[in-house]
Amino acid sequence: MTINHRRNLTNRCNALKSTGPKSVSGKRASSQNSRKHGLNSAPDFESSSEYRALVDLIAEEGFSAFACADIAAGLLNYRRVMDAYYDTYTSPEPVDEFLRDANVKASNPIFRELLSPSGSEPQDVREMAAFFASMQRQERRKGGPVSRRSADTHKLIRYQRNGIARLSRAVRQG
Amino acid sequence: MLYNIHFSIDVDVAMPVEDKSKSLLPFLSSPKLLPDESEAEFQSGLQSLLSELDNPSPLAVALVTQLNECLWWIKRHTMDKELLLHEAMARLLSKAGSNWVGSGNSALSVALEHYLEGSADKDQADLIEQALIDANLTLSDLRAKAFKDAARHIKVVDDLIHRQHQTIRHLQRSIDSIDYKSRLIKRMDLELAALESKQSAKEVPSLDDKPS
Repeated sequence: MTINHRRNLTNRCNALKSTGPKSVSGKRASSQNSRKHGLNSAPDFESSSEYRALVDLIAEEGFSAFACADIAAGLLNYRRVMDAYYDTYTSPEPVDEFLRDANVKASNPIFRELLSPSGSEPQDVREMAAFFASMQRQERRKGGPVSRRSADTHKLIRYQRNGIARLSRAVRQG
Repeated sequence: MLYNIHFSIDVDVAMPVEDKSKSLLPFLSSPKLLPDESEAEFQSGLQSLLSELDNPSPLAVALVTQLNECLWWIKRHTMDKELLLHEAMARLLSKAGSNWVGSGNSALSVALEHYLEGSADKDQADLIEQALIDANLTLSDLRAKAFKDAARHIKVVDDLIHRQHQTIRHLQRSIDSIDYKSRLIKRMDLELAALESKQSAKEVPSLDDKPS
């Protein structure tokens, strides 16, 4: 067993004991940890200069004022979704090679050593090993980089569907 | 391989609208390309789509650009399907052989990639052939098994491709409606001009008929 493997395992075991951030700024930062794309937030297109320019240009094509506003907002919203789609596709969740390739059974002595200061029972070691094994299964189930980026991008399908439906409706009703 | 991507290329979409100051594209974010993709190919696809429209309006150009991006996404996702199959094939070979490490073996994966492309050197070809013998499989058997193994991930990519098709359908309908609207306006203008000329033709003899 390499030193690197041992250090990695120790760090992960210690991380499990963490009780999270204490400071206000730490809490604020960690509150954004699970934010993926921000597409659920309501955008404020009306105050942007792009929106006003788009409305003026679309008006020249003979659309009504209401239709121009809808089409401009629809276009900006659709682009916002497609930009998030691209960003998600190009930055998938990285493969945790350590966890994926770790031999959990062979790591039992390290778990025992790490847990012994607290006077732990063999049951604790078994629970720790089972926990790591379940994390490993989850990691392996996610597959390689291609399946990860496809799965991540798949979550944005509904935003694209809603975005294009809104744009298409605005253009056809205009 | 499209695995690690750290930067992107913004496409500068050529504007075929006569008055470029009237284009909507500068106010919209541009479709981005991956580092190994050809901008010229993207542009030629766009130009061929635009050439199918007579005198496209700025809004039609903006919509056609979105449509071209969807076609580009279909291409990317189709490549991903093939990559997923290769990933699964390498995993199966690695599992069957003596060099099983976690979910795969990077050397075997690279060798297989080159082998399938036909660009493998002798060592890589030997490695794959030996792995196939160890696994007691032919290449087509391996592919069939890998397809079954990766079916869950392939279905996700199929959904993504299907979504792009649906988006293209929406965009086509929108472009048709703009095209129809502009043709309708042109036709109404022509009919109005015809009515006006008829009216003036009727008015001219009535002036002549006036008694002097």
